[in-house]
Amino acid sequence: MSLIELKSVSKIYRLGSQEVQALTDLSLTFDAGEFAVLAGPSGSGKTTALNLIGCLDRPSTGQVIVSGIDLGTASPRQLADFRLQHIGFIFQSYNLIPVLTAAENAEFTLMLQKVPKRLRREKVCKLFADLGIDGLEDRRPSDLSGGQQQRVAIARAMAANPQVILADEPTANLDSHTAEDLLDLMRQLNQEKGTTFIFSSHDDRVISQARRVIRLEDGYLAEDIRITM
Amino acid sequence: MIDYFHLAWKNLWRNRRRTIITLAAIAFSIMLVQALHNLSAGVYAGMVDSGVRAGSGHIAVYQQNYLAGREEALHFKDLNLVSEIEMIDGVEQVLPRLYIPALAQSSRESRGILLIGVDPERERQINPFLKSLTEDAMIRSADSRDAVVGARLLDELQIKPGQKFVVTAQHQDGTLHSELLRVRGVVSSGMKDIDGSLILVGRERAGLLTGSSSSVHELAVILSNPSYEQSVLGQITTMLAARPDIEAVSWERAMPNLANAIKLDYASQKFIFLIILLIVTIGVINTLLMSVMERMREFGVILALGSKPMVLRGMIMLEALSLGLLAAAFGTLLGSLATWYLVAVGINLADLVPETLEFGGVIFDPILRANWNPGWMIQIAIYVVGLTLLAALYPAIKAGRITPVEGMRHH
Amino acid sequence: MLLTLAFRNLWRNRRRTLLTLSAMVVSAALLILALGVFSGMFKDMLASATEQYYGHLVIAHPEYHLRRDLYAHLPIDIVDLPAIDRELAITGKSPRLRSFGLLSRPETSQPVELLGIIPELEQQVTSLQRQLTAGHYPTAEEHNGALIGQGLAHKMKVQPGDELVFITQAADGSIGNDLLIVSGIFATGDSRHDNNLVLAPLPWLQQVLVLPGRIHEVAMVIDDPMIAAQVADRMAPHLSGNIEVLDWGDLLPEMREVIAAYDVSRMIIVTILYMATGLGILNTFFMSVMERTREFGILMAQGMRPWSIRGLVLLETLLLSIIALAIGLFCGAIMTLYMQQVGIDLSAYITPVTYAGGTILPRLHAVFESGNFLVPAGMLLLVSLFAGFLPANRAARLDPVAAVRED
Repeated sequence: MSLIELKSVSKIYRLGSQEVQALTDLSLTFDAGEFAVLAGPSGSGKTTALNLIGCLDRPSTGQVIVSGIDLGTASPRQLADFRLQHIGFIFQSYNLIPVLTAAENAEFTLMLQKVPKRLRREKVCKLFADLGIDGLEDRRPSDLSGGQQQRVAIARAMAANPQVILADEPTANLDSHTAEDLLDLMRQLNQEKGTTFIFSSHDDRVISQARRVIRLEDGYLAEDIRITM
Repeated sequence: MIDYFHLAWKNLWRNRRRTIITLAAIAFSIMLVQALHNLSAGVYAGMVDSGVRAGSGHIAVYQQNYLAGREEALHFKDLNLVSEIEMIDGVEQVLPRLYIPALAQSSRESRGILLIGVDPERERQINPFLKSLTEDAMIRSADSRDAVVGARLLDELQIKPGQKFVVTAQHQDGTLHSELLRVRGVVSSGMKDIDGSLILVGRERAGLLTGSSSSVHELAVILSNPSYEQSVLGQITTMLAARPDIEAVSWERAMPNLANAIKLDYASQKFIFLIILLIVTIGVINTLLMSVMERMREFGVILALGSKPMVLRGMIMLEALSLGLLAAAFGTLLGSLATWYLVAVGINLADLVPETLEFGGVIFDPILRANWNPGWMIQIAIYVVGLTLLAALYPAIKAGRITPVEGMRHH
Repeated sequence: MLLTLAFRNLWRNRRRTLLTLSAMVVSAALLILALGVFSGMFKDMLASATEQYYGHLVIAHPEYHLRRDLYAHLPIDIVDLPAIDRELAITGKSPRLRSFGLLSRPETSQPVELLGIIPELEQQVTSLQRQLTAGHYPTAEEHNGALIGQGLAHKMKVQPGDELVFITQAADGSIGNDLLIVSGIFATGDSRHDNNLVLAPLPWLQQVLVLPGRIHEVAMVIDDPMIAAQVADRMAPHLSGNIEVLDWGDLLPEMREVIAAYDVSRMIIVTILYMATGLGILNTFFMSVMERTREFGILMAQGMRPWSIRGLVLLETLLLSIIALAIGLFCGAIMTLYMQQVGIDLSAYITPVTYAGGTILPRLHAVFESGNFLVPAGMLLLVSLFAGFLPANRAARLDPVAAVRED
């Protein structure tokens, strides 16, 4: 059984009186342990596809099946629970909560899961060490560099041990050196822990690291290439 | 929960200036409402105290139906009631009184008056009009011809202390009866109605006019502390069970003018309180809504991370709760300081209104002083916390309604 | 151009502006309503003393006012003094003789104050004819018809047509007593009048008191009670030495003080209420200024002077308060009008309350008084400008370079 399955999914947005077809009849399957990228120019439907995979949004037509469960009919509340248990997110602009420290940001999903404070802190300290940002636990996001913030974001995504981590343009705001480091790190996590990573990106550095490249054009699937090393 | 409080607290201080201004507005309103309420409570307590002492006591005992029209014929024999009521715990004094409508005449003038027959010894300990009189201005005994007269009435009758005058009233048998009295003391209360009409004489002498000696119209029961009113009233009512012709009533019923003056004043004050709280609530809605609108993107992220909409709503309610609690604590502190000042120093109204002021039939002390009402202060603080939560409902519902995608698209 | 800019800026964050506006409107409108109702109470209080008893102005013998000396009387022809006729503000005048005595029935006697009046003249001064509960106002033809208060009628158990005996001391020292027949019963709500006051024909009382052709006072009314003191001042020089004129403020000094103090207490209420509103305005404009830091930087970079920036922000606050005032005054006027026309009857909950020599009736009923609109309006403008000042200053002191860089 595949981990995530999109079955002829379409998504139509309404912008005022206009309708925008963001995705058309997209069918994709992801297995556990993949390191895949959704590639394509802006407006090609990458983020929309990622939102559907991450259960942030519901398709206009078609089905999204995760771990065998059809989430097309789930309530927002059920979707929220599902995300909390199974999915981690990394965003382009990090989106850390400015009033919380780095460690508190990373603990956030654990807090939502009602994990006791001591256990949370232990776990996050270990993650910080793994991610090479130990010692920054009590800093505020505004005191961190872009790379450091994105590592905190990764720690936040990883903290609850999700099966899948979705990353929307994770390197777009970073310089190439930092971007390389970060990709290496995620590649390492993918190999060591078996966490599935799905990116959306038009960054060649990301695409070149990926084991599967899914190209979207104008909301259609253009190509789906698996690279074996 | 602690974690969410922690987060709410941090979010509260995100826009420090805004929070402080909002906090100041709420705290200021709490202080105002508490201080004003305590001040009026103090003034009302003072009015009631002087009102019951000069009037019909904290509790008054009457013949049934007397209150409706105060008819002279409705008097009763006191028997041992005075001494029995005196035995009740918390009773400071029992004042038997006889009220007789009469005509007072000097050689030049006549005035219609309400003659009050009192027990001079008892009355002197309580009645503020008599307290200021010296020994040689007092009525010597219940059957003497001595009278204590209002200053203005004395002037209108054109007589002087020591001089004689005549009072005429209708006897039980229907004929007119006159008694010769002598002015012994003069009361100058500053209240036109009192100074223009007051005549106090001994109870026995007054009774001779109508043939109702050793009868009374009223037993004014003065308590050592107004808070005993309910329990003493209950005990007297029980005591009177054997005498269905007699009833005991609270001062509110015996002196409706005073009770209603307080009610009316307090009602208009409540209306002002209501406006203040309404305005503050609108301000809190505004602040919380702004704070929510600014953070829509963040809320999108929090929802994306797997938070349920209810948790998000709860977080906003918690922010409002922290704001409310902080404001309540701070406001109550300011309210206590203001009350402390108003208790210790007070406000001197004499600078504003030089004339003696009467309200609800009593003179009020030109120095207004507050009374402590901790229970009420806490109650108002809790109301305000409740209002803050109420004000947070709309912003919270609004924040809980967004989808993660919408939220994150927000700039 | 600046005005358009200010207007559009206000409308940018519509929700915030509307909420702030609503706080301003609510405070102004409810204040106007509350002040209108308070003024209504004062008006009732003054009317209970003047329109039901004293009149707004009284001329009498200088010895009469303080002691109400039976012997300080004047001839009845002072009613037609040129000083009265010349004063156009006076709309009614009534000669009166006053006596205090006992009103008797076989079962009971009550102390009363009896005014000897000429019915058609007295009706110009007091409004008791509009407050009858039984019978009719005594006519000139009834030589001993009396109008008595409801409380008194109740105590004495009399109805129109019943006989009463009035006993008092006459001017010749004898005890005068004579028969009255109840013509009508009035109820003012003021217990001091309802329990104590009797009106009877002037010639009848002159005969009882043995004071033929004499009166104690002439009570007069004017349209606006607030100018009574000025009218009295105008009349005084034209009166001879044995006649003085008093306005209601002289008769009721405590009421004059209370009404004068209302101006101060109104100011205090308005100030207190607007403090909370003012803090709301302050908050809104601070937020609005902080949001636009970058924009102000650009305006300044283009050469706009700090004073113009300050002016712009103040103009926005002024504009907001003018809109709030327009709506607030309108709503306040509507509510005041409703309370003036309809009002709320509280007689089921409370009885009339005496205050400063008058009586406040158990009703909420508003009156229009210019001060009740002008004070809240002026203060709202002042408070808004004051609340706008700090944010305006903040905007004007921005450093253009740093402001433009601001995200």
